[in-house]
Amino acid sequence: MTRDLAMFSADRMRAAGRRARVVTWQVGVPVVIALLIGAIALAATGTNPLQIYGMLVAEAFGGTARIDATLAAATPLIFTGLAAAFAYRAGVFTVGVEGSFAFAGLAAAVIGSQVADLPPALAVTFSLVVGMVAGAVVALVPALLRAYLGVDEVVTTLMLNFIVIGVAGWLVQTFFLARGQANSATAFVWENAELPALNPPNQANVGLIIAVVLVIAYAVWAKRSQLGFEFQAVGNTPRFAVAQGMRGRLVIMTALIGAGVIGGLGGAAHTLGIVHRYSAGFSADFGFTGIAIALLARFNPVGILIGAIAFGALNAAGATVQLFVNIPIQLIGILQGTVMLLAVAQFAVPRLRSRRQRTDATTPAPSDTSEKVIA
Amino acid sequence: MIDSLINSTLLFAVPIVLAALGGAVHRRAGIVNIGLEGQMLVGAFIGALMSGVSGSWLVGAIAGALAGAVSGAVMSFVITRLRANEIIVGLGFNILMLGIIGYLLRSVFGVSGTLQVPGLDRLPVIVIPGVHDVPILGAILSGKNPLFWLAVALVVVLAWMLSNTRWGVRLRASGASAAASESLGIRTLDLRDSAGILAGLLAGLGGVALSLGIVGLFNENMIAGRGFVALAAFYFGRSRPLFTVLACLLFSFFDALQVRLQTSGGFSPDLIQVIPYVAVVLVLAWTGFSVYRKRTRIET
Repeated sequence: MTRDLAMFSADRMRAAGRRARVVTWQVGVPVVIALLIGAIALAATGTNPLQIYGMLVAEAFGGTARIDATLAAATPLIFTGLAAAFAYRAGVFTVGVEGSFAFAGLAAAVIGSQVADLPPALAVTFSLVVGMVAGAVVALVPALLRAYLGVDEVVTTLMLNFIVIGVAGWLVQTFFLARGQANSATAFVWENAELPALNPPNQANVGLIIAVVLVIAYAVWAKRSQLGFEFQAVGNTPRFAVAQGMRGRLVIMTALIGAGVIGGLGGAAHTLGIVHRYSAGFSADFGFTGIAIALLARFNPVGILIGAIAFGALNAAGATVQLFVNIPIQLIGILQGTVMLLAVAQFAVPRLRSRRQRTDATTPAPSDTSEKVIA
Repeated sequence: MIDSLINSTLLFAVPIVLAALGGAVHRRAGIVNIGLEGQMLVGAFIGALMSGVSGSWLVGAIAGALAGAVSGAVMSFVITRLRANEIIVGLGFNILMLGIIGYLLRSVFGVSGTLQVPGLDRLPVIVIPGVHDVPILGAILSGKNPLFWLAVALVVVLAWMLSNTRWGVRLRASGASAAASESLGIRTLDLRDSAGILAGLLAGLGGVALSLGIVGLFNENMIAGRGFVALAAFYFGRSRPLFTVLACLLFSFFDALQVRLQTSGGFSPDLIQVIPYVAVVLVLAWTGFSVYRKRTRIET
């Protein structure tokens, strides 16, 4: 009995060790390749890559103000990464967080600029809630189409992003245009609707705390709640799970709309905490970067935080490094794009994979793994 | 008025048609190509550059097409050989291409965003004598560039190839069911790569049609979502070459109309830009609904 138990735990430890190796490999390879490509670009244009990378690290984490900037840049990414992870856990592959984020940003800006008379707590809460509703509205159509008519959510959510950007632009232009602004932008939100900075004059704000609390809630929910379990079951084996009595339709609706709500909260927090208004180009691909973060983290809460901080550091440091060395900020795009391109690529883990493939030689290799990778 | 509307509809449709045809073939092979936007950008950039270097639009067009094909191959390999999800790969690919080209523009060419290529040779305009002055017909047929006629030819050629050649039939088989076609010994991954390379090539040409055919310079934001409009078009046209092109013409018509209406006031350009995407959602909803209705009818 005790020997069984000992063997069991040894097995588990070995499995955990193997999983850790695989994860390190799957995350490490894209990052290393991205750094290499960035280094090639830098070296080809006559700059020392190590020096630039060193500066990036120093700019991202050297000193309180810089760490604060990194965390501020990470905040929207925590929201979008979490939103993506939330949906993917149920095997629902939404690309629409970008749209929810932007639409909620607009909603929060509109509300925030109307609430001069409310006490701060109420003004902020009201704006955030309206933002969440806006985020959910964006996700509603794809969610209904997927849950009731079985329409693939990837394309509908992608299309909704463009629809939202267009509609938001029209709304701003027709109804919410701030007077005396050169570009189409809404008015700034009132000070009582702003999310207060944690360490003024730096930018990281209460939004960061909301994001972290949300990640913790997600971790608990995924592990402990019934719906969290059903999410995973439906995500892993949809038909089996539904046959077992899991609420497939509820899971799909919750996953898509939940991702919209979380993304919406992120967009509203971005408005109230950082930019204080909505303008064209509000979301700098935060929704898409969130997808990369969620996938790299394999939906793990701690992984999402680490990933968001890493990408946030890139954004924050890239913006300032550009100021004192003549390095185009597009370097960040190269790094980020490469990581995303390879985020879900299956790099053969050396030795381990080949040994297993030899034993599995009789079973045919899965041909269409694209869906499985996500699920 | 009608003539100029027709003319600009057709002119602006060329880049989208080329990219959408490539995307449609890729889709038939079972891959949704989100990277068309990035591939168009590569084609537009290299096309403009090589046209300037060589002083010949033909060299520019071929170079742009080849560059698009190479970028399409890279994207396709990541999808087929590293078994990554095509959507993520496509999104990442677009960001990467924008990053690389933006970086090159600033560090090598020392410009921010817009590159005026000296000696750039634009696509020639083919005026058909006799037809040119006929109303409407002249606007349809005359005064077009070579890539327009290539696009017209491609609609027929691709439709024929998909239905009549070994490559086309096997391609569609691997798109319909990868597992089944693999069990019959079809090289699914090779076929998908060939479709991916073709999609990149055509999207690259689409970029060339934009930089050498319409604008006459290169700007890093010049694609402006046309790759995604192309995506919408082949979804709307159910990945059939002819319907895909009709969808492109429809979207392009709205775009041309919008420019006209904007000057006379009234319609919001933001809302008109949204039309292709709304159309796709509607089509998908309708498809889902008819499948759903069929299914329930059989059950009862």
